[in-house]
Amino acid sequence: MNPEGKKMAASLYGRVNAPTERCRVSFCTDMEKSVLMSNFERRGWHQVGPDDEWNFYWASTQTCRNLFSVESGYRMNDNQMINHFPNHYELSRKDLLVKNIKRYRKELEREGSPLAEKAEVVLHGGQVVTRYVHLDFIPVTFVLPADYNMFVEEYRKSPQSTWIMKPCGKSQGTGIFLINKLSKLKKWSREAKAPFHPQLSKESYVISRYIDNPLLIGGKKFDLRLYVLVTSFRPLKAYMFQLGFCRFCTVKYDTSVTELDNMYVHLTNVSVQKHGGDYNSIHGGKMSVQNLRLFLEGTRGRAVTEKLFAAIQWLIVHSLKAVSSVMANDRHCFECYGYDIIIDNQLKPWLVEVNASPSLTSTTVNDRIMKYKLIDNILSVVLPPEGVPDVRWNKVPSFEALGNFDLLIDEELLEKEDSTNSTSRTSKNNKK
Amino acid sequence: MENIKEETIHHTAMKLAEEIKNLSIYKSFYSDVQKLVSSPSVKKEDFKQTLQQAMKEKGLDTKLRNTVFHWVRTQNKQNKLDPLTSLSKASAQWEKRIHKSLNSMCSDLETSLAKIRSQSEQEELADKWNELSTYSLDLSKYRPVYAPKDFLDVLLTLSGYVPFTKEDEPKWEFAHLPLQVKTLDQLRKIYQEWANGEPLLGVNPNMPSTVPGFATLEAERIGLGERVAVLGYAPVIQEYLKKGSPQCLRAKLWSQVLGADVKQQQIIYFNQLKKNVLEVDLMIDKLIFKDVQLTASNDDQYFVFEDLLYQVMLCFSRDGEAARAAGASALRVAVKGRHAPDCLIAFPPSGVIPFHGFTMYATPFCYLYDDPVQLYFMFRAFYMRYWHRLHYISTHPQGIVSLCLLYERLLEANEPLLWIHFRNININPIRVVFKWLMRAFSGHLPPDQLLLLWDAILGYDCLEILPLLALAILSFRKENIFQVNTLQNVDAVLADLSTISVIPLLQLALMKS
Repeated sequence: MNPEGKKMAASLYGRVNAPTERCRVSFCTDMEKSVLMSNFERRGWHQVGPDDEWNFYWASTQTCRNLFSVESGYRMNDNQMINHFPNHYELSRKDLLVKNIKRYRKELEREGSPLAEKAEVVLHGGQVVTRYVHLDFIPVTFVLPADYNMFVEEYRKSPQSTWIMKPCGKSQGTGIFLINKLSKLKKWSREAKAPFHPQLSKESYVISRYIDNPLLIGGKKFDLRLYVLVTSFRPLKAYMFQLGFCRFCTVKYDTSVTELDNMYVHLTNVSVQKHGGDYNSIHGGKMSVQNLRLFLEGTRGRAVTEKLFAAIQWLIVHSLKAVSSVMANDRHCFECYGYDIIIDNQLKPWLVEVNASPSLTSTTVNDRIMKYKLIDNILSVVLPPEGVPDVRWNKVPSFEALGNFDLLIDEELLEKEDSTNSTSRTSKNNKK
Repeated sequence: MENIKEETIHHTAMKLAEEIKNLSIYKSFYSDVQKLVSSPSVKKEDFKQTLQQAMKEKGLDTKLRNTVFHWVRTQNKQNKLDPLTSLSKASAQWEKRIHKSLNSMCSDLETSLAKIRSQSEQEELADKWNELSTYSLDLSKYRPVYAPKDFLDVLLTLSGYVPFTKEDEPKWEFAHLPLQVKTLDQLRKIYQEWANGEPLLGVNPNMPSTVPGFATLEAERIGLGERVAVLGYAPVIQEYLKKGSPQCLRAKLWSQVLGADVKQQQIIYFNQLKKNVLEVDLMIDKLIFKDVQLTASNDDQYFVFEDLLYQVMLCFSRDGEAARAAGASALRVAVKGRHAPDCLIAFPPSGVIPFHGFTMYATPFCYLYDDPVQLYFMFRAFYMRYWHRLHYISTHPQGIVSLCLLYERLLEANEPLLWIHFRNININPIRVVFKWLMRAFSGHLPPDQLLLLWDAILGYDCLEILPLLALAILSFRKENIFQVNTLQNVDAVLADLSTISVIPLLQLALMKS
């Protein structure tokens, strides 16, 4: 190949450039995951303990809460940065997420916003219900025991439907079960209140209408894990990582009652599926979102595929807007959320939950490559061009710094555009 | 001159009129035309005109044109005589070897090549037809009969079958085979649109369109593609595919070009194959299961489609059409438990003893069709047109031997330093790319890139793009290859093709420097 061709090829197949920042940044971390450590090392950062002077802390949610608590009395300086917002649980706790979204809709409704439009829809069970047209992206959900009566009222409307119970404070599929009879719920609540289960009675649960018509590929159910990076809540600045993936159940989807208790059919969590006999450790039941898109475009067409992915972006943006007013918008913070989304067979996406500390453990080789890139791209988006944390920076990363992230929303940029009345600006977010 | 031309056209038309009666579509086509003739839209006074008009309106005109197109295509290829009959001897010996090893595997495992399934077995298989991954089989003792590497070793001994090999040529090169292959300049004439630097899908879909009314190249291709699909003329669609198809139209366009759309007749045919799978237990069924498990089930791009692939591959093994297209010679085997006179069957009916990775010829179609019957007929059409050439020994210009030779010549002529490097480290350069060629890159490239590559195979109706891509990849990674000197390390440099953008790389190779 001639030199010109080579130059062209090099730009076409751009490799990750070696980082330019060579100034020493000191980092601290609670979890010495290899995808984290190798990224920090590649940038030439040096590790310090939590009590030393650090610039960048990759912390557990617990450490972060402690640090921000009044008792700790810790004050961060301008050159410090941490990977969680103090009250991320407004988004990541199942009950609070639902509460915030419900409140957000009510507020919009009160303002008379067109976003809060409602209409009657026919469920595939046949009954007619009133739903938000644009903001109907979480399955009908109640918090138990608090909303028990409201739940029973809703349940009676369609007694044949299945519901899923999840403990609010747990993750990775623990404590989850399905119910299709009210008596089963009553039995559970009696047992939970029994004297020998005192710990259960304190715990609250969410109960949601189970998406019993999921989109199946190869006969199997899956959900999406997408990564969303937020660098500010007010104004909202959020980015979506292109390299999300689908997590597949290892066994065929089956809604028959006999399979209701078989969690390998219903739950896609890797932590659950790993224990199934059919778990494959080479691919780990994971397929990339790009391949999902390829499959849908190939078999269902372009228009519906584009619509689905636009609806997913819409869902993420509005779930973030729903919590933006209650989040403590500390300028030292950023956070990468793991969004779990299920797509139904009408190609409508449903938000299942949001995780504030998505797993950084790699299950396969490709998983490792993807997570390494995720961390690398997060660092380049949240850090100013000089590479040293600085809260005075305007948090507008360059196009190159985005890497595999697409801009979802930047309210500050939107406002500027509005005020300068320029409509020509094209963001990276535009459809490819 | 004019006269001679007219005469040959007349001659071809006569031959066509005779042969069309033997084609499978003839019966239904003829009855459709008869129905049309008796309809009021065809007038007796102006019979020819009105019938032609009516045929156009009913789409029979398109059907007839496509049939003629497909017929003419098969005529061209069949008339070519094999210039090297000596290779057929090599081919026959290789097949004999495969059959021998199959037989010995059978006696080692104390099973028979073909037997009737018991009633309970048939029921279980029928029951689990849609989730064959749960059909429990003990496959631990089954091994693929051969892998691409073994096939290459056979190809490298072909010199033994050719007289007058020059003294100074190493025996393991293909260069001494008296076969004609193209030079890069000749390829540039074939892949003219690419060589001229015309905009192609797969480079940058957001590139501005040169056609007024479309914002991007991708929008332009979709707009044009939709019109071409409605028209439905196979040669026009084939022309369109040269510059790449958008994924959303590909399933339709590919089946139109190959005449592989699914009607009632095809569904019946597929079910017949399925019935045969359920009734007769062929020993190679286990090899098919094993191959799907070893390839697709372990691949993060294809594991989801595992159950579809079992169905498709099992049915394929029962399909005699495939053997006819490939001209394969199958064994005759008695089915244990079945009585004469119909106990003798071709084994396997498809003539294909699956080798390691055979399933990969079918896997990419999973991104286009989720119905097993459609998937099946598309895979079969591709197999009958192209893939059989990649695993049978022949002197066909599209056959694996010619493709290997083309690769060798291209490398020597266009990357002389790499060629010398391979010589110096004593590695036959075909070794590092052979599995790509034999599998048409399936399983090596990510599916989106692979589908773009296969667009080009269909569009230009030839496989020369495969050795060319192998060359382009080596050329792109050559700096890294120069650094290493063992086969293992060269393989490591070339192992991960997930970052390769096929179309820009090929276009760069085809554009004049």
